[in-house]
Amino acid sequence: MQKETDSRSKTVSVRKTGQKESFLQTVKEIYSYRQMIVAFVRRELRGRYKGSFLGFLWTFLNPLLQLCVYSIVFSTILQSGIEKYYLFLFVALIPWIFFSSSVLGGAASIISQKDMVKKIYFPREVLPISTVTTNFVNMLLCFIVVFAVVLLSGIRLNFPALLCLIPVWAVEYLLALGMAFLTSAVTVYFRDMEHILGIVMMAWQYLTPVLYSYDIIPQQYKVIFDLNPMTPIITAYRDILYESKIPDFKSLLSATVMGLIVLLIGWIAFSKLKRRFAEEL
Amino acid sequence: MEVINCDDNVYSIEVENVYKHYRIYKDKGSQLKEKLLFWSRNKYTENAVLKGISLKVKKGEAVGFVGHNGCGKSTLLKLLSRISYPDKGIITTRGRISGLIELGAGFHPDMTGRENIYTNASIYGLCKKEIDKRLDKIIEFSGLGEFIDAPVRTYSSGMYMRLGFSVAINVDADILLIDEILAVGDSEFQAKCLNELKEVKSRGTTIVIVSHSLNQIEEICEKSYWIQNGEICMEGDPREVHRAYLEATVH
Repeated sequence: MQKETDSRSKTVSVRKTGQKESFLQTVKEIYSYRQMIVAFVRRELRGRYKGSFLGFLWTFLNPLLQLCVYSIVFSTILQSGIEKYYLFLFVALIPWIFFSSSVLGGAASIISQKDMVKKIYFPREVLPISTVTTNFVNMLLCFIVVFAVVLLSGIRLNFPALLCLIPVWAVEYLLALGMAFLTSAVTVYFRDMEHILGIVMMAWQYLTPVLYSYDIIPQQYKVIFDLNPMTPIITAYRDILYESKIPDFKSLLSATVMGLIVLLIGWIAFSKLKRRFAEEL
Repeated sequence: MEVINCDDNVYSIEVENVYKHYRIYKDKGSQLKEKLLFWSRNKYTENAVLKGISLKVKKGEAVGFVGHNGCGKSTLLKLLSRISYPDKGIITTRGRISGLIELGAGFHPDMTGRENIYTNASIYGLCKKEIDKRLDKIIEFSGLGEFIDAPVRTYSSGMYMRLGFSVAINVDADILLIDEILAVGDSEFQAKCLNELKEVKSRGTTIVIVSHSLNQIEEICEKSYWIQNGEICMEGDPREVHRAYLEATVH
């Protein structure tokens, strides 16, 4: 949108406020602010552990220590009967944490940058996008640990199945982004949203086969789990990394469709609500 | 968006009959509980801040807005920068807009001045290449010297503002919006800022200033708007407008 106005090219962008912006205009504008997304993601990732003694190493230490706790608890106290339960849990938990922290962090993304939103213009979409992308990059870094643990535990990885991780990541990113658009915009108007979401995300975790397998869900409740787009996503991660098999494409397709619907709803809600952000904050 | 040739469009800013209301909640419940329980409480009165403002600013022109607190001049600036939207009327702007409004936005205290330049400039919509190109100039103008590689938390507030100003002015916007900001740093830096604004203006940047410092407006602007109760009360040569404004204030 905002083109460089060099002495050579004398074209400038004309903008009319008071009229609706089109979808394409907004997308183009977000693209022209891509450096802001990069800068925010970098600031957040580097800033998170800055000042601590181990610094960036915490990105890897965190999941590793969590894994230690789980493997101790579930091998001594809560014996689940699932073989290599720590791995069963770990490959599902890392993606779940990405999703849950994107939704929760997304909800806070606009109100936490209140001063900036009130005083500077930039496409508001940048804030939830940066939050989700930060968490996404963080998850990808955690996957280095996941791969290491999977290999060390003696699971033979299936290469074609591993390639399927890419679409699974993409679908989860879209879903998380859609949720973050929705929650970030709504939280500006209803501050309770942040607290409600804490509970909602906890319940959502138990409505997703993260701690247990899809197979043990009683038949009459399966319909709830099937309507949850996170079910096929988490199951796909487990298929790839725990069972080392190619995930079920039919259920992944339904997750993609549901993810796109959530993204569409989130986008529309965000576009409607963003116009009065500066006044409501 | 349409791309047009600059020379055919002398106006950088066109404001046509713009109205803006703010909602004043009688007893605002932003919590869900309150919204559900007390529907009646969420009634608000509409407070008209701008009542049919129309103005045009030529490319390369500098204008000032003066008026009492609450007259709507800052609201007008917010509408120009697209932070908020008019209820009625159309605002047309041509080119990249930058504001000297919130200096040092997005600074991370633990990162160095240099790193923060990238974050801060990106908020004005610059891409990496554009920032690379301006980096030396920004550092030079800030006068921070070797401190540029020190974490921003070690800066004095003056240094912080200088870096923020330096980024904002070097964005090379086509339209520069300024809200009461020329109180940055020591008097030497202030003079530098004022000179830089004149220089930027001579390069064809359109400038809009909101200020209580009438002298600053007179020094930079060709035209001044006196805004009262959301309407343009008088416009014209800054000296004349300010004389009338001051007379009205005294009486």
